[in-house]
Amino acid sequence: MSGGASKARHGHHDPHAHSIHKPGRRLMQAVPLNFVFNKVHGVGARSVSASLNLTAFIDFLIVTVIFLLMSFSASGEMIVDKNISLPQAENVQEVLDAPMVAVNGNQVLVNGTPAGSTRAIEDVGRMQKVDEVFELLKRQREMWKSFNPQKPFPGVAILQVDENVSALVVKSVFQTAAFAGYPNISFMVRRRGKPAQ
Amino acid sequence: MAGVDVGGGGKGKRQLNMEINMIPFIDLLMVTIMFLLITAVWVSYSRINANAQIPGPPDPTKEIDPKAPEKVLNLHILDNEFKLVWKQGATVVSESTIERPRLQGDFKYDDLAAKLTQEWTTHGGHKDQSDKVLDQAILHSDNKLIFKDVIAVIDALYNAQRDMMVDGSLKKVPAFNMSFSVR
Repeated sequence: MSGGASKARHGHHDPHAHSIHKPGRRLMQAVPLNFVFNKVHGVGARSVSASLNLTAFIDFLIVTVIFLLMSFSASGEMIVDKNISLPQAENVQEVLDAPMVAVNGNQVLVNGTPAGSTRAIEDVGRMQKVDEVFELLKRQREMWKSFNPQKPFPGVAILQVDENVSALVVKSVFQTAAFAGYPNISFMVRRRGKPAQ
Repeated sequence: MAGVDVGGGGKGKRQLNMEINMIPFIDLLMVTIMFLLITAVWVSYSRINANAQIPGPPDPTKEIDPKAPEKVLNLHILDNEFKLVWKQGATVVSESTIERPRLQGDFKYDDLAAKLTQEWTTHGGHKDQSDKVLDQAILHSDNKLIFKDVIAVIDALYNAQRDMMVDGSLKKVPAFNMSFSVR
């Protein structure tokens, strides 16, 4: 930019002075051609802001809400002990509402109540009846029978067992549950997708 | 922004066309979607069946039925192989083995599953659709075996399936009922 032009535009007295100018567009502003001016100022170009069709947007939102409501399950969430990593299996069934016996690396819990130590079972080194588990399950069975005197007792219990627990502990708890009147035992697992046939 | 046109609306009357503000409506939908997405259960849990068959002492008031014992599959989990033994009482009817692969990461015994299906097809005693009884399998495992290995074997066992009439409709059910061996 020449000194005269600069003075004319910004009103500077000294053409060589380095001063701070007001921010703004600078690129190709000094080109004295109409088509360049039009191009720079966007004359005749498509507008930058676009309008959104709200009908399609609301339809999409409503369909999403309906889908999520249909797949929403308030009762399907099972409480799994956070210290337990469940194994995966393919040939599985739906979970039932039954007493939960959780077995993690340290302890055994019946419906969240501590009922014995896993280490203690492993230290003995042979299968044994876990007395606390037996007592709690027996109490549960008696309570169920007092509430449902006419119905036959289903004898179903669900075992949440950590995938790294030894078979000795699993068999001990399994046998204890059977002794307490729960012969139909299920192991809780994570569902693994079946491969395509 | 958006309106509902119901027509009508003459001179001097209140206008029947109403403007609905779409912004709160969209906000409500967005919040509902967020709530449903946050509260959704993404991990689905299932169960795998086992049965603790503990025969009690014989009832002295009942007459003992002199029925021939059924064939039972004894599945032994050994260090390097699986041993499949069909027994009828104390008599060994059939015996076979299959290599036990060393599993890393994904615990799944595909070969064992195929072999068990084949074994049940050959020796299984309860195949009729109206038969509600399942063939019994007893799992013999070392006490130190980890649970995910046990579940992988039970999963392979339940791969063998058959048709069963349940409540008037035909359903696929596991061919075996599994229990642990207790010493």
